[in-house]
Amino acid sequence: MVDILQFVILSTIRSGLYALIAIGFTLIFGVGGVLNLAHGASIILGAYAAYYASAAGLGVAGSMLAALVVPAVFGSLLYLFVIRRFEHEPIMVMILTLVTSVAVEQLVIELAGTQAKRVPQFLSGNMTIGGTSVQYNLIAVFALSWAIIIGLFLFINYTKPGKGILATSMSAKGASLVGIKSDRINLATWAIAGALAGIAGMALGSQLGATYHMGRNPLVLSFSIVVIGGIGSIRGSVVGAYLIGFLEVGVIQFVSSDLTGIAPLVVLILVLLVKPEGLFGRELAE
Amino acid sequence: MVNDGKDEAGSDYSGSTGRKESNNANGGSVGRRSFLKATGAGAVATGVAGCLGGGGDEESVPLSDRDEIRVGVLAPAPSDNPIGASIANGAKLAAQEINDNDGIEGTEMSVIVKDTKEQPQTGTEKYGELIRDENVDMTTGVFTSEVLLAIMDDMPGAETVHMTTGAATPDASARVKNNYEENKYHFRTGPINAHHLGENIVDFVDAKADDLGWESVAVLVEDYTWTEPVSNVLDDTLSDTGINIEMSRRYASGTEDFNPIYNDVEDSGADAAVIAMAHTGTPAVIQWAQQQRPFEFGGIHVPMQLPSYYGAVEGASAYGVTQNSATPTAEVTDTTVPFAEAYNENYDSYPVYTGYISYDAVNQYASVVESKGDIGADPVIDGLENSSYTGTIGTVEYYGKDHEFAHDVKYEQGLVWPVFQQWQPNDDGTGSQEVIFPDNLATADYQTPPWI
Repeated sequence: MVDILQFVILSTIRSGLYALIAIGFTLIFGVGGVLNLAHGASIILGAYAAYYASAAGLGVAGSMLAALVVPAVFGSLLYLFVIRRFEHEPIMVMILTLVTSVAVEQLVIELAGTQAKRVPQFLSGNMTIGGTSVQYNLIAVFALSWAIIIGLFLFINYTKPGKGILATSMSAKGASLVGIKSDRINLATWAIAGALAGIAGMALGSQLGATYHMGRNPLVLSFSIVVIGGIGSIRGSVVGAYLIGFLEVGVIQFVSSDLTGIAPLVVLILVLLVKPEGLFGRELAE
Repeated sequence: MVNDGKDEAGSDYSGSTGRKESNNANGGSVGRRSFLKATGAGAVATGVAGCLGGGGDEESVPLSDRDEIRVGVLAPAPSDNPIGASIANGAKLAAQEINDNDGIEGTEMSVIVKDTKEQPQTGTEKYGELIRDENVDMTTGVFTSEVLLAIMDDMPGAETVHMTTGAATPDASARVKNNYEENKYHFRTGPINAHHLGENIVDFVDAKADDLGWESVAVLVEDYTWTEPVSNVLDDTLSDTGINIEMSRRYASGTEDFNPIYNDVEDSGADAAVIAMAHTGTPAVIQWAQQQRPFEFGGIHVPMQLPSYYGAVEGASAYGVTQNSATPTAEVTDTTVPFAEAYNENYDSYPVYTGYISYDAVNQYASVVESKGDIGADPVIDGLENSSYTGTIGTVEYYGKDHEFAHDVKYEQGLVWPVFQQWQPNDDGTGSQEVIFPDNLATADYQTPPWI
């Protein structure tokens, strides 16, 4: 019984982190129709921005701000100077974002070295829920994840810029016909996606530490989550994150911790073979 | 901070001409090296030179015939990896001090550093360059076991003494024992080999578990080649100390997320995690500290051996315990602290364990050459086999050629007996490496993490 309760608690918390990691990735695909392979780089930048802000004595709030702003600026610059020229060439975008990602890793190695860095926690300490010790930090990440998911949902559905994003994701031509500037919408999307990836990077870093290669697994994970949920669907991504979170914790707890990271890949392959459109199709774009 | 493969320790050597000239005075030696050079590729050279029958042509090279002794150093990324930098700088400092004291019977030493990049292929190439192009008289360094085993393939052809100062694999000493004539050139000045690293943990637990309040432990060992002998020893003998082993796990190489593993340790109720970690050590200790896991943490943790580590991980290493060859304040011998201070003065940082060992290796080599009056491989090998040299890490003696760990440094109380240190926080926000074992070298009492 304790095992099952522990499984549910740990899975729920881990899934929240996964949703946070995947949501920026799915947003860019939903709106721009391109795969952003620099998503992992934004995660890295968020974690290191938080680390440097903390080292400079800016505290947790300052670290969060840095984790949001630095990757948002990075995402914006990436869009303005690189992606915009090639936004109708998905292969070029994949190549460019992949190269950017590698460049960011190299930059981090040069600036911060290869050893992991300690990223500040949102909250420190532990509590016991149903006999399972749970860190406050994980609960904070879970709460943050849902705050962002709900906030994003409200933003997209009930604000003017959000509706602009929704419209552009449905039809860029249609959106421009009613006066929506797709350039601005795309820029906003890249900035928001960068910020979300950045705060996910801080969340991940606060758990595992920041390393120059910390963006790789989340990128693969994001792939799996958005494919399962239906590429471009925010709702699908959240469901996909929970599916993978529960599956992974189950494998770790009941089979072996050596199999960490395998579950998402297996599910990815199965979904591509059986239901390639994902659970929720391409919601934003349709 | 360190040389780039070409600079030297206090000598004004400018190229290899002088060495070639001196080689010309030494008969067979020049023939072998010229041949090696002519063949170009180290691997080819090795095979053919090996067919020449090895040994014999290095029987005697009188020191008086030489105006310089050249030391080749193999280090991983000596420009930015503290382990590699310590290897290079430890060797350079030894040579510099020797030269400042009129060299070895008036003959100066020079040091040439090459970067192995921790890759066996690169290590082999650089070793070939040292032997072939730089005409070194001995080589030292090497951190990665896989690199060491790769260059050992080329040692019979090179017929040059090599003193390892970083890699711990007992496969190297097994090769010396199993085929002495071909592999007699290899000595391991340190660290103690991986089998002894396991014994060292067991000895520590045996001596200190009661003081530390550890009644039960969970064994966590990263799954890399170097830890296999460590695991074997822990599996076989740790329980003999009377401690309860609640769980034992070799976790996957490259592990980044320790949450599932730490959850299991917590569930097991172990008082402490007994660890063997190098590559995965930093995420492991950061997560242990940040999550305030309710178990203590100690064993072998290579990154925690770095004197600058506390700052690098923002204090996450506080209360963690690791084995170490020496620390900047531990008076393992009379020369330990003076060396650490001299190193700090020269290079603006304190050395990692490989620095102490490399310094000792070069000094021990110099003392053997001086006593023998000869730099030929065979006389030096004989000298090292019978040497008892007290350096910064203890008294270095080597197991004999018939011992299962032939030519490895002896792990023994009174000889080389590593310390166990705990990172303890200071009032000013910094941390210090305090020795807690052995008792005669202790600089502080063990502190239980405050969250336990």
